[in-house]
Formats: sequence, C-alpha cells, structure tokens
Amino acid sequence: MTLDERGRSPVAPGASEAPATSWRQLEDDPRWYERAVFYELVPRGFYDSNGDGVGDLRGIVEKLDYLAWLGVDCLWLLPFYPSPLRDGGYDVADYWSVAPDCGSVDDVALLVDEAHRRGIRVIADLVINHTSDQHPWFVESRSSRDNPKADWYVWGDDDQRWSDIRVIFCDAEPSNWTFDPVRQQYYWHRFFHHQPDLNYENPEVRAAILSVVRFWLDLGLDGFRLDAAAYLYQRDGTSGENLPQTHEFLRQMRAEVDRDYPNRVLLAEVNQWPADVVDYFGDGDECHMCFHFPLMPRMFMAVRREQRFPITEILAQTPSLPDGCQWGIFLRNHDELTLEMVTDEERDYMYAEYARDPRMRRNLGIRRRLAPLVENDRGVAELLHALLLSLPGSPVLYYGDELLMGDNIYLGDRDGVRTPMQWTPDRNGGFSRADFAQLVLPPLMDPVYGYQAVNVEAGIRDSSSFLHWLQRMLAVRRQHPIFATGAIEVLPADNPSVLAYVRNSKDGEERSVLCVNNLSRFAQAAEISLARWRDTVPVELIGRAQFPRIEDDAYHVTLGPHGFYWLELEAQR
Amino acid sequence: MTVPESLAAVAPLAVAYLERQPWYQVVMGSAARRTPTLVSAESIRPGPPGLARLLLEAGESQFQLLLGWRPAGEAAALLGGREAALLGPLAIGDEPMLAYDALADDVLCAELLAHVTSGAEHATMVRRVSTLVSHASLVFDERLFMKCYRVLEPGPRPEVEVMLRLDEIGFNAMLAPVANWRVDGCDLALVREFQPSALEGRLLAFTSLRDLLAHACAPDDTQPVERIRAETELASADPDAQTASAGGDLAAEMRRLGSTTARLHLALAEAFGVADATAETFAAALGDGRGSEAVLTRIPAGGAGRVVRLHGDYHLRRVMRSEAGWLVAGFGDDPLHGSEPGAGRAAVRRGSPLEDLADMCVSLRGVAREALGQRAPEETETATHLAHAWIRRNESALLDGYERTDGVAQLLPGDAEVTRLLIAALAREKELRYEATSSDT
Repeated sequence: MTLDERGRSPVAPGASEAPATSWRQLEDDPRWYERAVFYELVPRGFYDSNGDGVGDLRGIVEKLDYLAWLGVDCLWLLPFYPSPLRDGGYDVADYWSVAPDCGSVDDVALLVDEAHRRGIRVIADLVINHTSDQHPWFVESRSSRDNPKADWYVWGDDDQRWSDIRVIFCDAEPSNWTFDPVRQQYYWHRFFHHQPDLNYENPEVRAAILSVVRFWLDLGLDGFRLDAAAYLYQRDGTSGENLPQTHEFLRQMRAEVDRDYPNRVLLAEVNQWPADVVDYFGDGDECHMCFHFPLMPRMFMAVRREQRFPITEILAQTPSLPDGCQWGIFLRNHDELTLEMVTDEERDYMYAEYARDPRMRRNLGIRRRLAPLVENDRGVAELLHALLLSLPGSPVLYYGDELLMGDNIYLGDRDGVRTPMQWTPDRNGGFSRADFAQLVLPPLMDPVYGYQAVNVEAGIRDSSSFLHWLQRMLAVRRQHPIFATGAIEVLPADNPSVLAYVRNSKDGEERSVLCVNNLSRFAQAAEISLARWRDTVPVELIGRAQFPRIEDDAYHVTLGPHGFYWLELEAQR
Repeated sequence: MTVPESLAAVAPLAVAYLERQPWYQVVMGSAARRTPTLVSAESIRPGPPGLARLLLEAGESQFQLLLGWRPAGEAAALLGGREAALLGPLAIGDEPMLAYDALADDVLCAELLAHVTSGAEHATMVRRVSTLVSHASLVFDERLFMKCYRVLEPGPRPEVEVMLRLDEIGFNAMLAPVANWRVDGCDLALVREFQPSALEGRLLAFTSLRDLLAHACAPDDTQPVERIRAETELASADPDAQTASAGGDLAAEMRRLGSTTARLHLALAEAFGVADATAETFAAALGDGRGSEAVLTRIPAGGAGRVVRLHGDYHLRRVMRSEAGWLVAGFGDDPLHGSEPGAGRAAVRRGSPLEDLADMCVSLRGVAREALGQRAPEETETATHLAHAWIRRNESALLDGYERTDGVAQLLPGDAEVTRLLIAALAREKELRYEATSSDT
C-alpha cells in the first residue's frame, strides 16, 4: 500500500482503525465552505451497520475513513428525520428526532464528532417549506378550523387562489391545492399533496422552524441545506417564488445562526436563474451558499454539442457574489437532472440527447446518474469533473459517482439514482448483511454497472481507477485555493470546441491558473489569447511539467479527445 | 510646418506607396497604369509623431492613406521588420523625418481612435487583424474594432448607414457602432464594439460537420453507406434520432440563428420600411427561370410576403456566435473580395427576406463542400449522404427558428410550403451563379 501525498495510507473500505492524528484538523475558519468539497449521501443507501437492510448513521460513521481518504470536506446528509417516506424523507413527520431505521439523535452526535475528528464537517437537509401530512402539526391543523395549530398551514375555501403559480411536480400533481375532507377546506402545497406548505405568515411557525434550527446546531451540525427555500410565502399576482418576505425570514435565520453558532453554513436550494438566485445571498447577510442550477445541464449540453457556448453563456449571465458567498455546483444529485432552468428548446435537446427512453424522464428533468448519462465514457466523466473542480463554486459530489456507479430507471420516482452504495463485490455489494429481499432498494447487478465490477474495493485496488483519479484531483484542488476563491475570466479561443478560462487570485497576488478544456471527442488545437501573461511559463498542475513559454499574444495548445489542462501561470525567474 | 504646406513633397511618396499596394492594384485592375494624384491632406496631429489624412484619386476611384512621420531614427526602429509600411524621407523643419503608413504605428493608431471618437475612447493596445481590400482593421484593447476605409465611396456607405439606423431603433444582435468618421458626407472609418470571444459562424458549422463525418466515416465500418442511408431515412421521419447519432450537433445553433435573422429583418423593416412582395419580386431574383416557373405559379395572390431592405450578403462569415447569442458582425463592405458563395456587392438592395435566408443556406452548402473535400475518396459516398442529411437538418432548423419568431410571419409568403420551395429555388439559383462565377475565374 502506498502513501498518498499527505502521508496517509489509503484505507480499505470499512476500516476505521487509522489513528485520528493522521487526519486533517478541523480549521477554525468561518469561511471554510468557500474551499470545501461537499459529498452528498443518502443515509439509507450508504452503509447498513446493523444488518436490517437499511443504511444508517452509524454506517456512515464506519465509512468516514474512506471519505477522509477520498478528500471530501463536508458531508451533506439527505433527510434522516421520521417520515412516511413518500418523498425520500423530504416529507418530515417530526423535526426533533431521527427515523428509527436511520438511528438516533445520539447517532447524529456521534457522526458529527467522528467526522470532525477527521477534519470533515456535516450538514443536513432541512425541509422548511412543508411537512409531511403525518406531522403532528398538520394532523392537528386539519382536525378543525379553530384548533391551536389551525393557522399553521395555508388553508383556503376554494382552489382558485394563486392559480398562476406553476405546479412543480407536474407529472404527479394537477394543482397546488388539495381538498381535505376532515377540515372541509383546501390546503396549499407546492410539491406533493402529502406535503402541505407551512404558513410563514404565522409567527409561531417561524419561531418553531428557528427552534428546529437551533436544536440541530446545538447538537453540532455544521449547517443546513435549506430545501425548497424559494417558496415560503404566497402573494396574489406573483409567481409565489422569491418573495421579499421569504428573504426577510432567511435573513432572520442567518442572523440567529451568526450570533450563536460560528462556522456554520446555510446552503439554499433555489432552482432559479442566477440573477434571481443572487438575491438569496442578500448583502452577504442571507445564505452563505446557493446551488447554481442552470450551470449543471449546460455542462452536459456543452459536451454533447462539443462547443463551449452553453457554458460561457451561463457564466456571462452569472452575477458576481457579495464577499463571503459561494456557489454550490454539481454534476448530479439525488434529484433528477433538472431542466427547469433551461429554455424549452434546450429541454427538447436534452431529452433527445440524454433521455431517449421516456422512463428516464421525470417532471422537467432526467433521472440518471452521471456514468449512464455519459454512456460510461471515462474521458467525458473526467472532463466533466475537471470542469466541476475548476469552475467557480464549491463542488458537490454525489455518492457513488466517484465509482461511476450506474442507475436503475425501472425503480419508481427518483429511487433509480438512490440505489445502495457499492462497497465490495460481495453479497449486496457490501452494503448490508441483510437478506436481499430486506434491502431498502436493490443494489445494481447489471453486467456494466453492477456491484461485482463497480465497487469501492475494486476502485481502491486498481491504481488507475476513476476513484484514484478523482482522489488525486481533489488533492490537487485543495493545494490551490485559487479554484475556490479566484475570479474567473473566460478567454477567447479560436476553436469552438475549446473552453479556456483563467482563475485569478483576488488577494492581490499575481497568480493565475489557466484551465483549457476540449469538449470534443476528437483531438483539437486552439490559439488562446494570453497577451497579459506574455513571458510566463505555464506549469501543469498535476504533473508539474513546464509548458512552452508564452511568447506571443496567442498561445497554441493541443488537446487530446476530451482532454484538459490546468496550467499555473508563473512568471519565469 | 504641417503636411498641407509640404503637400508637394509628400505627393510623390504617397503616390508611389499607393501604387505598391496590392489592394490598390485589385481596385484599379487593368487601369492600374493610371497614376494617382494627391488631392488633399488634413493634419490630425502636428507631431512628431505626426498624423495626417491623405486623399488620393485615380480615375473614378478615391483612396485614403493615413500618413505618419517621426524623426528618422525613431521611425526606423519602430518599423523594424515592417519596412513595407515606409513611404520615404520627409523634410519637416530642420530634422530629417521618415514618413510611413500611420496604421503601422500603435501610438498613431490610438491617436486616430481618439480623433474618430471625438476623444471619447482611448486605448493602449492595438492589434492589426487581417486586412481586406476596402479597409484595414484594427482592434483596440480587445474591446473596440475600427474599420479604416482605404477605398472611399462618395456619400455615406450603406454598411455604416444600416448599422447606425439599426442601433438607433434598438436592434442589439450586432456589434454595435461606437463612432463613425464622416467628412463631407464620406465615411472614412467606423468604430464598433469588439467581442474577442465571439466566433465566426462558419467555424461552428464546419466543426459540426467535420466531426460528424469523422465519426461516421470511421474505417472500421463494414457497410457504412447502408448504415448511413438507414440513419438518414430514420432521420427524415424523426430528426431527433439523427441528432442522437450526431454529437456536435449544430441544429440548436441554427434555430437560434434563424431567430436572430428574423429579428434582423424585422428591424430592417422598421428602419427602412416595407412594401408588398409579388410573384415578380421572386421572378426577378430567380433570373431566367431554370425550372423556377413551377414554384412561381404557386405563390398565392396577395400572399407573397413583404419586400424589405436586405442584408444582401448574408452568410456564415457575416455572423458570429458570442456569449450573448448570435451577432450580425458585418453588413458587407468588401465587394471586391467576396469569396463566399452568394457574396455580392452589399449595395442598398431590397427584396424578399427569403433571399437572405437562401444565402445562408447556400453558405451551409459551401461548408459541406469544404468538409467533404477533406475526406478520403473512398469515403465520399458515405460522407455525401451524411452531409446532405446535415444540410437538410440545419437548413430546416434555421427556417424553423426564423418562422417561430414573433411578428415575422407578416414578412413571409402565406403558405409555408411555398416559402420552403422559394428558398430552395433561390438557393439553387445562387449556387448556380456562384458556380458560374467560380468557373469564370
């Protein structure tokens, strides 16, 4: 076993014996999230520690050494709260405890402590827009029109109000209103009908949600990914999205967090255009981070069209952020590859390219994992990750994508991309010792993506695996904070298949990293305008090889199919 | 002492310099033996370094030269390696000066920019880009582009006039004009925005087809022709199926270009007015027929669409893809150097907007010809089948994007099928004309 560059041994999956002193220390840095690599995981699908067929929090604890070896900085846990699980746990039935099959509140504390020992932070999903219809609040609210929680949800006598507000889960829900036979009124829901929206007009609701926030932060969580943050309020004649009242509440939440809980992060899920999303950063006093949704489909589109404009266009439309704010960028996540933030024409194109089987489509999106989306092309997967790690924003990886895991489009809803993590070629992919029939979801067993071939153990054993490649890239990225905090400048290149940009340090130092990407499946040459860096000798970041000195305004670069370079621009001494 | 006073001394240098220029020889053709004369000079900067504008005449044609001068040693150092720009020694005051083409001098180019923009724009970096016959092109600080006309036209140039007018009414899908230099009603230079990251449409189109052919003509294909035929037949039933096999697909871009083209025509209609088109409009454009009678008879009475001021030289080199979408980069002003099929003098011409669309279709076919020319002879059959499918797909996307644009229906014939037939006939006619011109030369 060889040592990695930080002198740590790559550990076998499941092993957690490595001495804690060999791990990175948790830094006391309120802006850690600007440099972090996030790793999103589904607790029920990651590792089953007690053999009941369902992944759990203690299972994650057992795999922390693997995650530390991989080099991620922060885990993002999908909901682990008690829930009827009609929407993957985003239908919360109790905010103050943990679903029994996932573990206990003590397990959350253990996970946070053990992760922190390894220099890893932990954030969790917090669903603030709605609850499950099984939540005691809703059960009480629907019981009559005059109970103490009667006004905790949004009730109406008919289903006509706010009829212009779009239906997001348009495949499943005909309306944002559903009639409740008990209370004999309609209740409002932006998502599924079993997820009634909380009434944020009611100060008691706002106070209750803030007390939930405090409860989990007191336990040590490093922050939240705020689910569906754009829809908290409704107003006549509006789209019901991005309303000033919603911003006001988020600012209130941020102020409380800043006051009592240093070094925490609020990451908003706001699936909107960048110009609207920036409002969720406020003046640096609202959310620390927001996801950049439109960038993701455009990375895929650019690779498919083999030209840079889908990416450069959206970068040009992305406003700069207030100090201390950061984008969250991603290739894939637990939801469908969402196509809400593309034009109709672009959506048709993406469907034609990536979702030829109607089963691959869901709502306005494509439910596929990364590897099947790129037809298991390792070169494309590497290029997409090179973009992810070098474009502005903190990258968010999705569990299993580091193995190029596949999906199962025959499973319902979004379960196709939530199948169990594949740890070994053993029974159930090493995910669980339970009987196969007991498993929360069947692991993949097909000949291409099945756990017999695609698993962590094989990835670690094979030094040329994608897993090793990604681990190395994360290490390189960590050495160069310019990727995290540098400004971006897209450079003119005379070849449409070549995307070139520099990341420039903002701290006054004259440092730059040039990123050149070939979006084509064929080798390409390009001339890139580098007049400002004349007499500089580019140095490739991964192998430290020197490239020819920049002697003219135009610099010639040749790239292999789907190739990329990260070149540090250092003045020659 | 300024140049006008030493006109006599400058004249022989300027004349000799002009006669050496290849673009002068192109313009004058067989009349090149006629000796040009220096008509006037205007001092822009007394110097040194000095800058002056010279006007020369040869027969009917007028030429502009920008004259620079510096102390001899300084000028020699500046022009090292670019001696072709040298005019010769010039006596100004007591110091020996060297006169040269001012466009070779960064300082004087920046001076010229400030002069043309009445002091509104200043630049530190100057880059010279490929020069055409009618003008020299300069890029300032990678953000401004100046066309400095060499061959002058009496009265305002159509290109400048169109750009200024379109800018006035808010058409933004072009590199917007920043300033123009007009003296006595004659346009001497035009400054417009520059988008360094924008790429010529031809390059995008060529890349798309080149990669498609490279993919489909892979040597390990055992029965490529049959396979391609099957694919293209499938494609005609379901265009998405063919997109799927293409990668590097251009259709989405062509759809957007169609929409930009429609907006251009709507803007031209607003700026310069419209008239009703008739069957005769198309008969004139289609020339002596060559099988076009059938389509002419199908034009519905009173439904031939409108006549607008045309772009007139609309092809893939005239449009650029930028981060802000497609831009119309030029309105044609190099009549003597048009190399694209369908290129012609971008005079003030009115006609059905279908003519511009047909020009663009011809341009796509030109790209296909070029890409096919790069394939090995044994691949020609496969490649040709695929190239035709590619042309069909992209022409159809272009028209689709055009027709879907709000408000553009009023410009088109009332019958969609007739529209397509007319575009096809116009494109065929333009191709034939282009082939005839090519074989002449």
